[in-house]
Amino acid sequence: MNLLQLFLVFAKIGAVVFGGGFVMIPFIQREVVQHYGWLTQQQFVDAIALGQITPGPILISATFVGYKVQGLAGAVVATLAVFLPSFLMTALAARQMMRLRRNPRVAGFIRGVLPAVVAMLLVAAITIARSTVWLDWRLLLLVVVALILLVRCKVDAVYVVVGSGIAGFLLER
Amino acid sequence: MTDVPKAATPAAAASLLQLAGVMLKVGATGFGMGMVGVLQQEAVTRRAWLSQQEFADGLALANLLPGPIAVDAAVYVGYRLRGWLGATVCLLALLVPAFLIMLGLTIAYLRYGQVPQLHGVFRGLNAAVVALVLAVAYRLGKSSLKSTSQAALAVAALGATLLHTNPVTVVLTCGIIGALLLAPHPKVAP
Repeated sequence: MNLLQLFLVFAKIGAVVFGGGFVMIPFIQREVVQHYGWLTQQQFVDAIALGQITPGPILISATFVGYKVQGLAGAVVATLAVFLPSFLMTALAARQMMRLRRNPRVAGFIRGVLPAVVAMLLVAAITIARSTVWLDWRLLLLVVVALILLVRCKVDAVYVVVGSGIAGFLLER
Repeated sequence: MTDVPKAATPAAAASLLQLAGVMLKVGATGFGMGMVGVLQQEAVTRRAWLSQQEFADGLALANLLPGPIAVDAAVYVGYRLRGWLGATVCLLALLVPAFLIMLGLTIAYLRYGQVPQLHGVFRGLNAAVVALVLAVAYRLGKSSLKSTSQAALAVAALGATLLHTNPVTVVLTCGIIGALLLAPHPKVAP
């Protein structure tokens, strides 16, 4: 397995993986565990867990896979490759968006998409909540407090994130 | 920052250095989807680099294109403000904290074979992510759901996705319905 192959595999993953976080996991698993056998199932599960406790996108688990396959160079290549396709498409689309926004059909299209985006955000929140905070009223309370701090009091997200981490740590003991 | 014209197309001026600084912050404090919340707070609420509507356009794109939504949204912000260079700076700055931390964790994991046991912290952080995502949904809903038909679309999209319809299908369908029924000019049939 050389760097070029690694690059191509991760660019392919990056080109077909939609949405945030958890949606993409089964697809990556098929490529990385079943198809190429780069990681064992357990290593894959652990790589995703590490991706979740690391700030930034969960897809950063690509760094783990790249490192496992080809060391530091592999980590860099896999990470860049997995984000390259969406980077190019988003920048090109942003360019078109600035031109096409005045077209009434495009404006209508976006007016239709925005409610769906709100729905997707709610679904993401529900999915994440289900995997963690759903059954613990103290964590649900933490969500409510954090939401009020963010929306009403306009507290900097950094403090909300750090504070929630500390609160979670204290609740665990 | 208060004298920024509200409807200006290339919003407030941002230097590449400022962009990099903000994206480092987003990348270092946003976990997964939580990044969208931090990004919105920084780029729209705090710095008024983009209007709420322009940011919403970016989220719409991000939902239609591959890649994590928060990363796409950051690239969109960078491109809108400083073109290709801005987009590149944003992507790299966003990824640097995650890459370095992940690299360290990977090396430790491959040596010791263990994931750090941070269940409590992790659950707390997830609560913050849920709140950050809900905050974006709230602001976006408030600013862009202006008619009953849009609210109805949101409810329909929510139902369809919860029933496991492919999210991209849902987003595209809503877009097509919008293009047919919600286009702003009166000559378009209702």
